[in-house]
This record gives sequence, structure tokens and C-alpha cells, in this order.
Amino acid sequence: MTNQAARFSLGNLLRRPETGSFLGLVFVVAFFTFFGGTNFASATGAASWLNVAASIGIVALPIGLLMIAGELDISIGSLIPAGSMTVAIISGHFHFPIAVGIVAALCVGALVGLINGVLVVRTAVPSFIVTLGTLFAVAGLVLGLSVVLTGTTSVALKAGPEAKFFLGHFIGGIYQVLIFWWIGISILFAFVLHFTRFGNWIFAMGGDKVSARNAGIPTDRMTILLFMISGVCATFVGVAQAILYNSAQVSAGQSYIFNAIISVVVGGVLLTGGYGSVFGIVLGTLTFAVVNQGIYFTSFDANWASLIIGVMLLLAVLMNNTFRTLALSYASKKK
Amino acid sequence: MSKIKTLITAATTVALLAGSATFAMAEGITVAIVGGKTDDAFFAKVKKGIDDAALVVAAHGGKVNYLQLQTYDNIGGDAANLVRTAITQKANVIAVPNWVPDSEDEAIKAAQAAGIPVILFNAGGGDKAKELGALNYIGNEEYTAGVAGGERFTTAKAKNVLCVNTVPGAQNLEDRCKGISDGITKGGGKSTQLPLPASSFGNPTAVAEAIKATLLKDATIDGLVAISAADADAVAVGVEQASMTGKVQLGSFDMNDTCLERIKAGTQLFAIDQQPWLQGFLAVTMADAYVNYGLKLATAPILTGPGVVDSSNIDATLAGAKAGYR
Repeated sequence: MTNQAARFSLGNLLRRPETGSFLGLVFVVAFFTFFGGTNFASATGAASWLNVAASIGIVALPIGLLMIAGELDISIGSLIPAGSMTVAIISGHFHFPIAVGIVAALCVGALVGLINGVLVVRTAVPSFIVTLGTLFAVAGLVLGLSVVLTGTTSVALKAGPEAKFFLGHFIGGIYQVLIFWWIGISILFAFVLHFTRFGNWIFAMGGDKVSARNAGIPTDRMTILLFMISGVCATFVGVAQAILYNSAQVSAGQSYIFNAIISVVVGGVLLTGGYGSVFGIVLGTLTFAVVNQGIYFTSFDANWASLIIGVMLLLAVLMNNTFRTLALSYASKKK
Repeated sequence: MSKIKTLITAATTVALLAGSATFAMAEGITVAIVGGKTDDAFFAKVKKGIDDAALVVAAHGGKVNYLQLQTYDNIGGDAANLVRTAITQKANVIAVPNWVPDSEDEAIKAAQAAGIPVILFNAGGGDKAKELGALNYIGNEEYTAGVAGGERFTTAKAKNVLCVNTVPGAQNLEDRCKGISDGITKGGGKSTQLPLPASSFGNPTAVAEAIKATLLKDATIDGLVAISAADADAVAVGVEQASMTGKVQLGSFDMNDTCLERIKAGTQLFAIDQQPWLQGFLAVTMADAYVNYGLKLATAPILTGPGVVDSSNIDATLAGAKAGYR
């Protein structure tokens, strides 16, 4: 009797969905260590990209889950500044307690997520278009309300020591506390996606929504729930940014849309849905953060930064695709 | 199977190369300087000053590391992050504009606590530099520049001036608009600020359309001032589309070729110059001189502006602009 399943095989390891993302990460880290020297590879150098990875990562995880389920949410680009501005205006400008501001910001995220979910479920409009609409609507709402309530589009926020400790301070002066939130949220998402039936439902919805519904999965409720989670995570990142940097800006979130989607795709999630893993998304986020920040450690002229970022990301995705093709086309040797 | 073997070999080789990469660290110092993206016309001139100063730094055996912002969406937070990146890179000195003191002061103090001297340029002001214990401040006194602009508007008999701010929240730009307001109030006029979201900075259509709409709505506006040269171009287009060229006076902070041509042609009233090339050049050379040899100017702050460019001195300015220095 063959024991192929029990025997550890390098081939099996390479065919896991996360391997491509892992090797992509190794490649970019090697590249920037080579060109960036020991400063990049040090523990303090790692803080640069870990900090960036944490805020993109918290937003990328629910977006990744939505993409696995076959939907897309780009309204996070406006929900992040909405979260910042809500907590800054309520607690910074009107001097309510910080807890009120934080809860209000998260409620804004949940509400917009609910609107997104209901619109996607009730109408036949693709989620990209629905969330594009809410992206602009929320952006306009935030800008308009900010000018009406405070007269300016940037609000300062002086948070108290408890809020600073939990949400917005630098551990050891260099690591954002958000990194621990990101690790915790990743573990939670990994557990849900890979070890509960909700995870199965998400994969099924991404594969074929009609069949999933016919199999008894409550696709409508799951969709709305996923959009609400995405909204809450986005406003959470906004709140953390406002507390960390002591100020909120109306426009501080547009770049997150592409950055989060890039992280998710580099992490192995298919744009068409039905395939991906949380660990892959985490690795994809790290890869993007390394590429984004590593350029500052090299001696390349800053003018070439965008070119290098684009090329590195393409290479990382190509490597990913190669491994996925290998995995999907593997046929074991017949004994 | 052989394909997998090739891939594994390639991956291992790369990993080994990375692991064995040892570098002789540069003997000289590293000057880290934070600034805007160089596709922004203003910071392109700052970068030219930095590049010219890098020759001096290289002659002393050091190097310059330009850490640029990728967008202006979250200007305070991103600048604070870049200062912290410079700390992890063990830079010997950091030059940074203090756009949003609320967000950046903590990072600047962290750099000083790590033993890295900091010099402010482009934004912050002399008082802020003294408060933080920075080496110096090289740049404009924005409030004074704004007042000069406001007085120029009064001379040109403008009564209602709109200050178009496309990077709200940046302290130096807020000071400019406040200066305009105070300068023109002295002459009996008034000024309000039109804040546009930072995503419209450098987006000419967004700015032009916003200006056109505002002008059509409020016929009493007879003066507009933009906080950057690129925005001034967009504002000029907006004024033209509203058919108000000639009725509405235009002023700008910072200048580019089209602004200067408009001043020569008479369709723009003035440009306030803060000499960005000098800011970049002086910031780097002074930082290098201090760290290497302990040299420090007794004059603080070092003001590179405001210089008002209008029809009276346009020709001399045009010559410098052609060479890319103004």
C-alpha cells in the first residue's frame, strides 16, 4: 500500500496555493537586501514595511474574502478617510469622549457596508459599480460635512493615553501597534475561512453563486455580512491612522484601493473568485509593502521608484501564476 | 519534475546571493531629505537643488538619500513615516518639511532622541524650528508671503479674493491663505479660502471646474490666488471658461513657465517666489556641513522668500526660469 499521502513531499508543498506568494516574497526581500544593504534587512528596517503592511493588510483581508466570494469592494478608498474624519470631528473638534468617536466611525463603516451589500443583493448591478458609486458618494459626504461642520478639510485630534496605547503608538518607537491588530485579525480570518463552514460557503459562492444558493447557502446574508465587515475594517484603519498621526485628512485613502487589490492578487486570490487563502493574502500584503518601502533603502534615484515598483509587482504575480499552473496541471506518476 | 527542480535551484541561488551580500558601508555620511514627488513642478526644482548639492556631499565622501512622498493624500502621516524610515536607515542628518506639525513633531523628536540632527526646510517656520531644537529653517515665512500677496491685491484694487487651497491641512499653505486674508483686510477688502480635497492637487480639470463653478455662482469675486504653480494654470483655465479673464485678478504662490508668460502678457498679477532651488541646495549643504565639520550659520531662520515677481521684474526672472532654476 502506498503511503504517498503521509509522506512529506517537496512537490506537495510547492503545489500549495501560498507557495507562489511565499517565493515572490523571498524574491523581493532578496532583491532589496541585495541593493539596500544591511539597513533594509535589520529589525528596525523591517519596521518600515511592517507598518505599511499592517494598515493595508487589515483592509486587504476582507477585500480578499469578498474577491473569493466573487465580489469587489472599492468603497474602502473613501471609508478610510470617513473613519478618520468621523473620529477626528467628533472627538477632536467637538470634544466628545474618544470612545464615542471610535464607535461612531465603526458604525459609519457598518452602515455603508450594509448599503453596499443590500444594493448588490437586491439589484443586478455588479459590485464593482455599486461600490464605485458609494466610493464617490461617501467621499462627497465626508468633504461636504467636514467643511460645513469645521470649515476646513483637515482636523486635528489629540487622543488620550488609553486610545493611544491600544490604537496609535509606536512600540519601541518604531513598530506601530496596528501590526498586532493585523496579526490578530489575520488569525481570526484564517480560522473562519479555512476551519468553519462559513469559509466553505465563501468559496462556494465564489465558484458559482446560483449553485451555492441552490445548495442551501444563505448567499444574500453572507454577501451583506462580508460587505459590512469590509466597511468596519476600513473605518477601523481610518480611526487608527487618525489616532496615530494626531490628525485626519479628507482624502487620505485613495491609494489603498489599488494597494489592497494588488496585495490580494499577488497573494494568490483569483480575480474571478473561488480560489485563495488568508495566508496568501498576508504574504501578498508583505510583498507589496516590501516593494513599496524597499526602494527608499536602495541608492536608486527616487525618480525611478514607480518603474521599479511596477516591474517588481509584475514579476511577483508572474511567479505566482507559474506555481498555480504547476499545481493545477500536476499529475502524479503512476506506479 | 525538472521544471520544479529548475525553479528550486533558481530560488536557492537567489536566497544564497542575498544572504552572502555583504557591503562595505559608505565611509561618509548619509543625508536623508524628505520631499514631494518630483513630477510636481515645484519639487522638481527642489530636487535640482538637492542634486547639485549632492555633488558637494559626494566630494566629502557622503551621499544623499531623497525620500519622496508618493501622493499628497495623507501628507502629515506619510512625511512622519519617511522620517522614521530615515531613522531606521541610520541617516546622519534628516532634512524634512514640517507640513503638519501635529503628525510630524513626534517623528522629528524621535529622530533627535536617536541622536540624528534635524533641519527643517520648505515648511515649518523659524519659530517651529526653534521650538523643536532643529538646526535651522530654510524657506519662506508663509504668513509674511501671504500678507505681501494680499497687499499686492489691494494695490490692484481687488476687493474679494478667493484663496484656492488644494492641500488643506498643510500648515504652510494654511498660513499663506491667512496671510492673504490679513493683508487684504488691511486695505479694506476681504478674502475667503476655498479648500479642495488633496486628491485634486495636480488634477487640472478638477481645479478648473471647481473655479469655474465658484466664479459663476459668486459674481463679486475679483481676485484668485492659487497655492501652487500647477494650480494657477488650472485656475487660469477656469477663469477663462467662466469668461472672466481681465475681470478677475490672478496671483500664485510659486511659479512655472506658463505663470511667468502670463505675468509678461498681463493676465496674471503676480507670483510669489520662494526659490525652491535654494531650499533644496541650502538644506543639503548645511546639513552636510554641520554633520561633517560642525559648521552652523548664526542666522536663523534662513528666508528664501517671499519675493514678489510681477511685471516690474519679469524679464530677469524669465532668464533664470529658462535654465530650470526658478
